[in-house]
Amino acid sequence: MIVVEDLRKVYKNGEIEVEALKGVSFTIEDGEFVSIMGPSGSGKSTMMHVLGCLHQATSGKYFLDGEDIGTLNDNQLAIIRNEKVGFIFQQFNLLARSSALRNVALPLVYRGMKRSQRQEKSRIMLEKVGLGHRLDHWPNELSGGQKQRVAIARALVNDPSLLLADEPTGNLDTKTGKDIMKIFLELHDQGHTVVLVTHEPHIAEYAERIIHLRDGEIEKDEQINTSKAEALRQD
Amino acid sequence: MFLAIIRMALTSLKVNKLRTLLSMLGIVIGVGAVIAIISIGSSAQQDVTREIETLGSNIIWVSPSWNLSSADREELFTMEVAAELEALSPSVAQVVPEKTSGGRLTYQGESVDTTIVGTTPGYATINLYQPVAGRFLDQTDIEDLRNTVVLGSDMADEFFSGEEAVGERITISYNNRRSRFTVIGVMEDKGQVFAGNLDAQVYIPITTHLARMSTTNDIDTIYAEGAANAPAAQARQQVDYFFYRYLGDSDDYSIFSQDQILQVLDEVSTTLTLMLGGIAAISLLVGGIGIMNIMLVSVTERTREIGIRKALGAKKRHILAQFLFEALSLSGFGGIIGIGLGWLATYFVTDLGGWEMVVSPIAVGLAFGFALIIGIFFGLYPAIKAARLDPVDSLSYE
Repeated sequence: MIVVEDLRKVYKNGEIEVEALKGVSFTIEDGEFVSIMGPSGSGKSTMMHVLGCLHQATSGKYFLDGEDIGTLNDNQLAIIRNEKVGFIFQQFNLLARSSALRNVALPLVYRGMKRSQRQEKSRIMLEKVGLGHRLDHWPNELSGGQKQRVAIARALVNDPSLLLADEPTGNLDTKTGKDIMKIFLELHDQGHTVVLVTHEPHIAEYAERIIHLRDGEIEKDEQINTSKAEALRQD
Repeated sequence: MFLAIIRMALTSLKVNKLRTLLSMLGIVIGVGAVIAIISIGSSAQQDVTREIETLGSNIIWVSPSWNLSSADREELFTMEVAAELEALSPSVAQVVPEKTSGGRLTYQGESVDTTIVGTTPGYATINLYQPVAGRFLDQTDIEDLRNTVVLGSDMADEFFSGEEAVGERITISYNNRRSRFTVIGVMEDKGQVFAGNLDAQVYIPITTHLARMSTTNDIDTIYAEGAANAPAAQARQQVDYFFYRYLGDSDDYSIFSQDQILQVLDEVSTTLTLMLGGIAAISLLVGGIGIMNIMLVSVTERTREIGIRKALGAKKRHILAQFLFEALSLSGFGGIIGIGLGWLATYFVTDLGGWEMVVSPIAVGLAFGFALIIGIFFGLYPAIKAARLDPVDSLSYE
């Protein structure tokens, strides 16, 4: 469960201070599929960095699974990112000089898992996203959709509490984008908590709830009807 | 996890082979140079030491100082003193006096100016100097003041050029005195030693020299051979003490010993080797700066990779370890190649010089250890820089 209370984030750029988040509060229950949407400059990227424990908020509270993230140091944040957060990026962010298998295994390395165990677990994850035949391929040998599937497998490998996707279809064509969204829906159906950060309404609408951000504040926090998601499920 | 991080570091070195090789080059050359210089130095040193030891064992020589007046010399540096030194010093096996003067040899109308050495039979033993024909001077030659002469090899070549010299009669003139001498022996090739070029001299009984060729009775040099069972330093001390007691002033005579010269030579060559090794070590330092340079470029280039790793849960120390190990591998592998290179260079140079090859294990250990320390030292800053990168900034780095 995610609880955010009066979250503020101020960036200092020399003398100029920019307030990216101006007191944001919301709760996301386990198993929810939420989109955080807003135009550029709305603070949604900052929101993602804080939720993903990449940055600390300037003030306010952030609880992830009951843990007060604001009190953690760099090392503890690294552990949380490793164990509780699965990132999926627009740019895929795979290591270019490592095979798909090694990319997926990377979070397990930092968890301290044995090599044989890592490889076994990563192989299972890649099979789950339909890439069981691409284990030893390097990222430059994979299509965009396949790269994003590798990234999803990597995000899932540590069984995180929160899947955090940042414009996951931004670099994909419509058809492939839909395929990826379908995977997110499946993950949601399996009980994963998914937070999708996007500026595209038609992507945000696959979720069951949209938090609209504008100028660092919540403009609207709405449950939406899931007809679009249903349509994709049936597709 | 540690193994996995090492594997990551090695993988990234393997991916960029040419760059890896180039950044190692400084360390390769540095380690190679240090090992080659120190090893070549000690090979040469060992060769020189060995050569000196073949000149004779444990010899001490004493001469009057320049500040001693000729009257004093004549009175103080005599055959009697030499005999007394031998009698009173238990650590001295034998004493050999020497009197030299320039003179002219004439044989069948041909003349050559050379050094006439008056000495005793012991001269051949202490210099490990053997006749190739006839014999060296003996006790009877000394006691009877015989007109016998032994030729150095160059002198024998000069007059007899391979013909039988023993038994021939040769004229030696000095200060307008002329005497006929019988050649009783020809010595082996010995070449240059501390006393001069033995091959270019001729040897006559010292008694004959003093009686017929000299205007004064003093002798030029007293050689003392240390007893085989006495330490070299002890023999030297005894001789020194004898002359100090006898003359009352250490400025009146000069004393040298072979082990002293060996020691000086040793010190000189060690200093030289260390100095050159030190200069070579500077190239190691330069190699380290090369590694730091490449590592800094690498950290900048791989900023995004660092961001990804951090997002996936890498702690600062994981990133630090990865980059530090990369730097350490560069210097380590560079060091290993450098050891091979230094060994090869030593092999070729010692082969060329005809010396026995001595690769100093201390030099190898020192150079390699220094290379590793340099790898850590110069790898630390880039690694810390990598570890401190902000994950968000690095992820958005293009």
